[in-house]
Formats: sequence, structure tokens, C-alpha cells
Amino acid sequence: MTDRGGFAALDPCVHCGFCLQACPTFLATGDEADSPRGRIELMRAIEAGELAPDDPALALHLDRCLGCRGCEPVCPSGVGYGRGLAAARALITSRRGVPPLARAALAALTGAGVSRVVYALTRALRATGIPRWLAGWGRVRFAMGMLAATRPAKGGGGRRRLGEVGGGASRSNLPPPPPTSPVLLFRGCVMEGLFSHVHDATIRTLEVNGYAVREVPDQVCCGALHEHAGLESDARRLARLNVAAFGDGDEPIVVNSAGCGAMLKEYGHLLHPDAGGFASRVKDVTELLAARGPRPGAPVDATVAYDPPCHLLHAQRIAEPPETVLRAIPVLRLVKTPDAAQCCGSAGLFTLIEPAMSRAVLAPKLETLAEARPQVVATGNPGCLMQLGAGLAAAGIPAVARHPVELLDESYAAAGYYA
Amino acid sequence: MARDLAPLVDTLAEIVGPRHVRTALPERVTYAKDGLPTHRRVPGVVVLPGSRDEVIAVVRLLGALGMPFVPRGAGTGLSGGALADGDAVLIVLTRLNRILKIDARNRLAVVEPGVVNVRLSVAAAPHGLQYTPDPSSQTACTIGGNVAENAGGPHCLKYGVTATHVLALEVALADGRVVELGSPGGEPWGPDLVGLFVGSEGNFGVATRITVRLLPVARAVRTLLADFTSLRTAGEAVSAVIASGIVPAALEMMDQSCIQAVEDSVYAAGYPRDAAAVLLAELDGAHEAAVAADAETIQAVLRAHGARSVLVAADAQQREKLWLGRKKAFGAMGRLSRDLVVQDAVVPRSTLPDVLETIARIAAEYGLTVSNVFHAGDGNLHPNISFDGRTPGLRERVEAASAEIMATCIAAGGTITGEHGIGLDKLRYMPLLFDGDSLAAMRAVRHVWDPEERVNPGKVVPVHACREWSGLRMGRAPNPGAQSAIRNPQSAIDRKATAR
Repeated sequence: MTDRGGFAALDPCVHCGFCLQACPTFLATGDEADSPRGRIELMRAIEAGELAPDDPALALHLDRCLGCRGCEPVCPSGVGYGRGLAAARALITSRRGVPPLARAALAALTGAGVSRVVYALTRALRATGIPRWLAGWGRVRFAMGMLAATRPAKGGGGRRRLGEVGGGASRSNLPPPPPTSPVLLFRGCVMEGLFSHVHDATIRTLEVNGYAVREVPDQVCCGALHEHAGLESDARRLARLNVAAFGDGDEPIVVNSAGCGAMLKEYGHLLHPDAGGFASRVKDVTELLAARGPRPGAPVDATVAYDPPCHLLHAQRIAEPPETVLRAIPVLRLVKTPDAAQCCGSAGLFTLIEPAMSRAVLAPKLETLAEARPQVVATGNPGCLMQLGAGLAAAGIPAVARHPVELLDESYAAAGYYA
Repeated sequence: MARDLAPLVDTLAEIVGPRHVRTALPERVTYAKDGLPTHRRVPGVVVLPGSRDEVIAVVRLLGALGMPFVPRGAGTGLSGGALADGDAVLIVLTRLNRILKIDARNRLAVVEPGVVNVRLSVAAAPHGLQYTPDPSSQTACTIGGNVAENAGGPHCLKYGVTATHVLALEVALADGRVVELGSPGGEPWGPDLVGLFVGSEGNFGVATRITVRLLPVARAVRTLLADFTSLRTAGEAVSAVIASGIVPAALEMMDQSCIQAVEDSVYAAGYPRDAAAVLLAELDGAHEAAVAADAETIQAVLRAHGARSVLVAADAQQREKLWLGRKKAFGAMGRLSRDLVVQDAVVPRSTLPDVLETIARIAAEYGLTVSNVFHAGDGNLHPNISFDGRTPGLRERVEAASAEIMATCIAAGGTITGEHGIGLDKLRYMPLLFDGDSLAAMRAVRHVWDPEERVNPGKVVPVHACREWSGLRMGRAPNPGAQSAIRNPQSAIDRKATAR
């Protein structure tokens, strides 16, 4: 049989429909064409040549898929929906090309030269405080809210901030032992451009837990956004560059963006068979921290709702480690919202390209967050941080979105570990 | 889309909004199947009304135009019942998903038809109540669909199927007239019209509002997992459990092939992989001591009838795990092969051991993989045939084996559906079970509700002239064959095998 690529991963689907209620877009529209099962039918039809990949009515529903893969962990037959979707999108893109808006956004966020300028400009805009002031609903104001959500918390740089209960409260504020286990940091594009403070927090908290973080020159974008846009060959090219940059040692590759982590873990399939070893080295920062405890910090008096990124929970099946990290912070109260595991509607470029569906998916989550009244919504992915931050601001909910390691970093700073 | 449907689309769009009318081929294709994907029909137009009033307006319009239509819930049915042909309009009710009222004092709820089964139980839980019928697809299927199919589920052994739990219905008839059936207080006199509507497979109209009974969540529960080294022994143990006089809340069986599929999935429940079959039995009630005593008795019965071991779920978490494995088993069948046909038949409980062996023999004869996961306490079988439809000639073999399994069940004194309905899939077996006069009577009842047979056309009762069926049945087999097969099931199978 010919190599069917990702389409073969759809074969186990027996059409039971047990995925329907796990799909945020199906919940938003009630339309089978916006459900995993319906989309699998469409993917199968384009593989078989029964429907044209560039049929707008078909592409509409595959474009509207968040790629959150919330359908995968509930599937009894283990259908590889994400792989099928990547194959289908590659086929659609090969016929239709990348829509202009998506192409522009890709270049702005991941293009080697362009993105540096874009990020510098957006950081300058962010520093003015205007985006925070403009944050709200509507395409532009929501984008402003997203940008405002990337701002480091006041104080920054591992100093004391929100809700901290006085220093010296920790029972273990001895200086941490010198780090010994080497790990390599994956920096990515959006994380590097807008969330470098999360990288700083990642390095500091890992070091407290015995990891020596090394920088890797020549690394590039993970290619996730390219793959979502159906640009499989671009994704493959970037994957090869990263595999070469990180070398064939066995040090773990630490990632603090769930989307990048999920993509890096897929390299084995993307470049098979030569990248399986690479993929198995990739670890989310919370996995590494949880493996060491992590070391408890000083109390932080805050109510935190953890909102797992889909690409961490569904794609990488990492559920416990982020909560373990947050529980290492004394006093911090972790609240559970019933729909935390559901997508926030960010989904990479989705929030920019499909704003209506993106907001429809976000709306029920904001309702439950308004009810739970946390001070912080913790989530480990740049897209989710921006989407939730913008949503909270627009809905007037007095809470901020932060990466879990930022909170641990704050707790460690208060404990005097960085003295 | 058939050309003559085009003028209709604008009017539909005026009623429900243009976003909720689907006419493009790719969109209609996603509605071409339900949970039994061997049947495929692409609807002419798909409409997704958002309220009761919109449903009624759509039905009224279609009535005025004399057009056929098919109501559909979540499309998890297993008989091709919610499929529409190209000249029909598919009315999808998933957007009608509001729970309108939970009346805890009177233990009832009023829901729209698109409410997902399990969501009602979740909403009723704070009141200590639940909606009891629990089809395996309860996390996906809708109550409207449950009403249409008179859905069952594991716990229906003790508590009764959907019909037992529906108190009242608001129904849009084929012409758009709206009628009220039953009452929240029950229906003490006259014909049981609610009973007639529940299980009518969408042939009598569209339920727009459903009033159901809620029951208290059992205060004491024991869940037992017994494993057996032979399928026959497990089948015999089922009868022994029932004969003990205790009515379990549920009594389910899974065979080895099914156990493997579940244990390979995210719903792995810890069923012993080397068992030929497991029985999952649940006892429940209001009093801890009484339920504990019943559980002791059933444990002893299971052991006395060949159980290798009996596990009692230690806590709610383990109980849930054991049940999730069972309820997701059907969806896990994709692990065995890419195509699947599930059958649904009821046999007298006492014949289970023989029928299970015969099914295994049929599977072996046709070289097919059959997995059994079913409501053993009701004798409600679900043989699942896994196959790869790309293999030339295999689909025909699966069809033939299915027909033979059905004949076996009928011959054993059973019937052709326990809960999945007739739909499209079982039409061909109806004449094996009913004579022409009986089929004619069924159609006459339907004509009271839908004289033009416009609602879900072509389902349930074969459309051929009943006289024709009558002749077939009177003239020769299958009826005489079925009669003699009741006395000697094996001879019927042997005869068919020889004929082949």
C-alpha cells in the first residue's frame, strides 16, 4: 500500500460519536461538520478524492478546527486526529495556498528577520501601556488585550510581587545546591519575542531544582504554526534545523510553551524515522520541575485557577506536573473550574483568523472563571496566556493570566533563593 | 442537493437564519451516517433550528410543501434510523439543548430534545437525583434520540428503559400541528400515547419538549466484576444470578476480544485479559446493609457457577472505572479493525449459552472477528463484527454472517432489536418476525400520526405492500424454518451452511 501519511491515523474511527461533546466547536455550533467525527468524514473524503480539498464548504470546517485535540484523549479507539488533520491541511494548502492573513501572521511571528522587528515594535507599544488601556472586544481591541497580556508582572525579574506573604516565611530558604543536570532551553518565537520573562523564570526555577540550563545557538521556530497552516515542508525544514542545532546528545530539551513542546514531540513522525530520539528528549518545564519535587518556595497568598493548555493536556497528555508545580507554593489556593480542560479558543493563529469562532469557544470559559473569581489564571502556553489575558480584560474579570513557572519564580524570589 | 429543494432553502433560512441551513455537499456528507456507518445516505438539506418555535415553523413549512423530513439528535443511533435521502430535509436538534426545568420535589425534569443524556444527570445530581436510563453513548446521545429509539442501557435491567421514564411529550406532528401527550402526573386513563410515541423511531413526529422522571441516586451501591474461563459458563452464570431472586441494577457481559479492545484503550478498567468473558454486576438500593447482603449472595452465586474470581469495586473511583470500560467498549472496537457492524438482538436469557456458542461458530465459519459486549441480564446481545471493508467480498460475508446471527436469535425465540431500533438496518428482518397483517397494523398506527409517511420515511416498517410480505411468509420459509429452528437452533444453521 502507498504511504498514506497522517490519514492512516484516522482508520480506527468507527463513528461512535463519543468525541462530540469534547469538541469546543461542536459545542459552539451543534453542527456535525464542526465536530471531530464530521471532520474525519471530510478528511477521509479528500484522501479518497471524493471531495475537492479546496472546496470552500469543506475547507471552512477544517479551518474552523482549533486543533486542540480534545477529541483524542476521549477516543476509545485511539484515533490520531491531530495527525490526520495535519495531513488534510497539507493537502488543502497544496491546492489553495495559505490565506493572505495567515501568511502575513506567520511571517510576522516566525519569519527570521521580520519577526525581530515586529516583536521590537510590539514590545515598544506594550511598554506605552496603551494596549492595556484599549483592551476589549472587537478585533483590534482584543488584539491589544492579547498584547497587554504578555507584559511581565510589575516588578519583574524574580522580585516580589502579587500576594506575597512576607519573606522568611519559608521553612527552607537555605541557598539551593549548585545545579548539576544539564538541560537545553528551547526558546521559540513568540516566547522569545514577547515572553522572555517566562524564559528567565524558567531558567531560575530550574536552577533552584538542580538543573543547569544551557543555551543552544542556531535553534529556530518549532514549525507548529506552519504545520497548522498546512505548510508541511516548511515545518519539516525547521524541524531538521532544530534537530541539527540541538545535536544528538541526551540532555533533556526543556520547553515552556505547550504548543512548541507538542510540535517538537511530533518530530519523530514528521521526519521519521530519524528524529525519534530527539522527540523523546523534549520535556515540558513542569515535567522537569515536578520530577524534582519541586523544591517548595515562600508562601504566595493568591487564588489560582489552572487552565491546562490543550497542547499540554491533550497532545502531550501532561496533566499532573503543572499542578504539582503550583502546589509547591505554600498558601496558594488552586481552584478547579469545571471546563478547565476545554480549549480557550486561542489555537495558534486561530484567534486572529477565525475570531468569531474563537470568541464563541472562549465565552463559556470566561463565564466559569467569573464565577470562580481567581486572581490568577495559570496556563503554560503563549497563545493561551494571550487569549485568556485578553478575554479576562475584555470581560472585566479582575484576574491576570500567568505561566505557572512565573508563580513559582515569585515564590522562590520571596524565599530568598536568588539572593 | 436535488434541484427541486433549492426554493425551499431561502424560506428555511428565513426561519432559522442562513448559518443554520446546510446545502453544500461537504456539509451534507458529514450527516450521511449515524453510529452504524455501514449505512450511508446524503441528505438533501440539513437544517439546525435553535428553538422549539423554529422547529415547529420548519415542520409546518415542510408540511405545507408536502416534503419528507427526518429528525436527528447526535447521530449516535445504531440502526441507520436518523439518515435522510437526497429528497428529504434533515432536521438536526442538537441546538435545542436547554434543560428547561428540574423540579426536585416532584422528581421530574423538562428538557429540549437535544439535551445530552448525561448532562441531565449532572444537572440533577445536586438534588440527589438522576436520569436513570444510561445508554453506553450517554456522554454523546440526546434525550430526544433516546425517546425516538426507546433507548436502553445497563441500568435499565432494574429500572426499565426510556419508556418507563418519560412522563409527557410535546410533539410536532408531520403537518406542524403541536400535540401534548401524557402529563407530568402520569396518564391514568385512555390509550398510552406517550408509550406509543416512545420508540416510534421518528415516525410519528418531532418531540419538541420532553418531561422525564428523575430517580434518587442510589445510596448504597456494590459493583462486582466476575471473570470466567469459558463463555458458556459466563452465560450460565447470568441465568443463575437472575434465578437467585435478586434483581441487579445491571448485569453486563464482555467477551475476550472486547476485553482486549478496552484494555488497550484509555478506558482500560483492569479487566483480566486472559478471561474468556467477564460479567459486570451492580447491586443498589437505599440501605447499605441490604445491598451488602445482596452483593454477598450474588458473589456466592457467581463463584458457585464457575467464576474464577470476583472483584468488588473498592470505592466510587474504581466503580466508575469498571463502568467506563464497559460503556466505551463499542467505541474501542476500532482497535480491532477499521470497519464495524454491531448487531442488536434479544434472546431468552436461558438460551444465552447456546446462542453465544452458535454466534462464535458462525464467526468461525465466515472467518470473521466477533466481539460480544451486551446487557446479559436482559438477554440483549450486541455481537460486533470487525472487518476491513477494503478487502474484496468481505462486506458481503459480513452481511451474510449478520443475517445468520439474526436468524439464530429469532430461532431461539428472540427478536431483532433490543434497543437500537429497526431503522434501515433491520428492515429486512421484519418479515421474519411479523406477518403481513401485523406489518399492516403497524403502518395503520403510523398513519394516524403521519398519514403521508413523510416523517423519517422508509424506516421501521418495510414499504413493500404488506400483501406481498404476507405471501412470502405464508408461502415458504423463513417462517416455517424459524418455527422448526426454535426447536432445534443448530439445524437451521446447518441447513444454511449446507446451502452455501
